[in-house]
Amino acid sequence: MDDRVIIRFDHVTKQYDHDLPVLDDVSFEIERGKFYTLLGPSGCGKTTILRLIAGFIEPTKGDIYFHEKRINNVPANKRQVNTVFQDYALFPHLNVFENVAFGLRIKKMPKADIERKVKEALRFVNLEGYEQRAIHEMSGGQRQRVAIARAIVNEPDVLLLDEPLSALDLKLRTEMQYELRELQRRLGITFIFVTHDQEEALAMSDEIFVLNKGKIEQRGTPKDIYDEPVNRFVADFIGESNIISGTMIDDFVVEFANQQFTCVDHGFAKNERVDIVIRPEDLELTTIEHGKLHVRVDSVLFRGVHYELCCYDAYGNEWLVHSTKKAEIGDEIGLHFEPEAIHVMKQSGGE
Amino acid sequence: MKFSRLYLALVFFILYMPIFYLIYYSFNSGGTMHHFESFTLDWYKEVFDDTRLLIIVLHTMIIALLSSSLATIIGVFGAIAIYYAKHRWKQTLLTLNNILIVSPDVIIGASFLILFTIAGIQLGFTSVLLSHIAFSIPIVVLMVLPKLQEMSPTFIDAARDLGANEWNVFTKVVLPYITPGIFAGFFMALTYSLDDFAVTFFVTGNGFSTLSVEIYSLARQGISLSVNALSTLLFLFTLSLVVVYYVMTQRASVKGGQK
Repeated sequence: MDDRVIIRFDHVTKQYDHDLPVLDDVSFEIERGKFYTLLGPSGCGKTTILRLIAGFIEPTKGDIYFHEKRINNVPANKRQVNTVFQDYALFPHLNVFENVAFGLRIKKMPKADIERKVKEALRFVNLEGYEQRAIHEMSGGQRQRVAIARAIVNEPDVLLLDEPLSALDLKLRTEMQYELRELQRRLGITFIFVTHDQEEALAMSDEIFVLNKGKIEQRGTPKDIYDEPVNRFVADFIGESNIISGTMIDDFVVEFANQQFTCVDHGFAKNERVDIVIRPEDLELTTIEHGKLHVRVDSVLFRGVHYELCCYDAYGNEWLVHSTKKAEIGDEIGLHFEPEAIHVMKQSGGE
Repeated sequence: MKFSRLYLALVFFILYMPIFYLIYYSFNSGGTMHHFESFTLDWYKEVFDDTRLLIIVLHTMIIALLSSSLATIIGVFGAIAIYYAKHRWKQTLLTLNNILIVSPDVIIGASFLILFTIAGIQLGFTSVLLSHIAFSIPIVVLMVLPKLQEMSPTFIDAARDLGANEWNVFTKVVLPYITPGIFAGFFMALTYSLDDFAVTFFVTGNGFSTLSVEIYSLARQGISLSVNALSTLLFLFTLSLVVVYYVMTQRASVKGGQK
C-alpha cells in the first residue's frame, strides 16, 4: 500500500438493528495532507463515515485501517484524530483557555508546555487575548474558532469537521471557508469536511466524495465532479443544471429534443438511452437562426451577476439559462452551445 | 390586577400568620400564648440551657447532613443510571422514583418500621439515618436528571475525542455540568431531612429523637413557650438554607444563562 494513505475503508457497512444500512459496503482511501469533502443530502451516510473514523461507532461489517493498522475496535480516546462538531460542543463550565487545554491536560502535559501550545493554537485561529473569556461571551464565529483550536492543539493526523459552518450566517460562512482552506494548507494535515452545501464543497476541497443512500456515487476533484458528473444524482446535486434524457446514436453523435448534435463523448452502445447534462452557464442566448435549440422564455430572474432564464422548447423540456443578456418573458429565442458543453452520462435508476 | 395582588397578599398572610404568631409569643414573658406581657429572651435561654435538647439538635443536624450527603451520592449515580438506561426502562424507573416522592410519609414510615423490625435492625440512629437516606434519594434523582438531560450528548463525544476515558468524561465533563443540580438536590434533601416528622416518628426508638419529633412531644404536653423558641430557631435555620440555595442557583443561572 501507498504510504501516503492514512485512512482506508475496506468494504465498510454500518447498519442499526434491522434498518437499511446507513453505509453500504463502502471502500476508499484518504491520503495525508489533503482536504476532503464528504458531500450529500442528509441521511446519505456522510456523518456516519466521520463518526466511524472518530471512533464513536463501530462498523457492522468491513475494516477500517489507520496507517495500515486495523482500528475497528480502538476507542475514540485512543485515536489520532480530532473532531470539530456541528454544535461546537465547547464545555460551558470552562473558559476558552481551559477548553483548548482540555486534551493536553488529559495527556498530563507539563503546565508550561500547555500554556505555550494553547497560546499558539489560539494565535493560529486569530483569538489571541481571548484566553480568559467564558464560552457564552463568544460569538458564533469565535466559538467556531475555539472549537478548531481545541482540536488542532492536539496535533492530530486527521481533522474531522462535521458541518461546522452550518450554524453561521452567509457572510461569515464564506469567510470561514477561506480560513479553513488556509488553515489546512498551513497545518499540512488531512481535513475531512462534511457538508450538504455543494458550493462549500467545490470551493474548499482537493477531493470530493458525493454520497447518496450510503454509497459513494462519485469521487474526484471539484472540477471533475462539476464537469463530468457520472450520473443524474451527482449532476443534480452538485449544481443547477439541465438534465434531460436522450439517445446515443453513435460515437460523438447524440440525440435529444428531437435533434441530433455533435458531442465529445463516445464509448456507449449504439442507440443507448442516456442522460444529458448541459450547465446553465454553457447556454448562450442568440437569435432563432443561430441557435441550436429554439425555445420560448417562460420566466426571468435577476440574480446579480447574471439573469436566470427559464425556457421551454417545443417538446416540453425545461432549459435553465444563466446569461448576462436579458430577454423578455414570452420571447422566442435561440440557444447556442458548444459540443464540449454536452455531457453524456449513463442512465441510472431512480431520481 | 389590583384584586389579584390583594388576594395573593391575603393568602400569604394566612399561610405565614401562624408561624409569626408562634414567633411573636416566643418572646412573651407571660408564659402563655394569649396574653403578651413583656419582651423576654428567657425561653431561648431555656432552650440553650437544656443539654438534652441540644443533643437532640446535634442528632438532627448529624442525621440531616449525613443522610443528605449519602443520598446525594447515591442519587447522582441513580440519575446517571436512569439517563443511560434504554428508553423503555427509563420511563419505568422514573415513574418508580416519582411514586416514592408523592406517596404519603405515613406509609413510607410504617413500611420502614416493618422492614427494620423484620431485618432485626434496632430502632434508633441507624434506622432513622437509613430511612432518611431512602426518602431523600428520589428527590436528588429528580433534581439531577433534568441537568443530565439538558446536557448535549456531543459533550461526551467531544471529551472522548480529546482523549478522555470514561472516568475523565465523568469527572471533567458530566460532573461539572450537573453540579448545580447536585447542589439543588443536596439542599432539598437537607431540608426534607431536617423537618421530617412522620417517617422519623415511626422508625425512631431507644431514646433517640430528632427536633421535629421532640417538638411534637413537647407541644403535646403543651406548657412551655420554649417550644415556640425552638420552633422559631428551626424556622430561621430552614429559611437561611432556602436563601443560600436561592443565591446559589441565581448565581449559577447568571453564569450559565446564555448558551
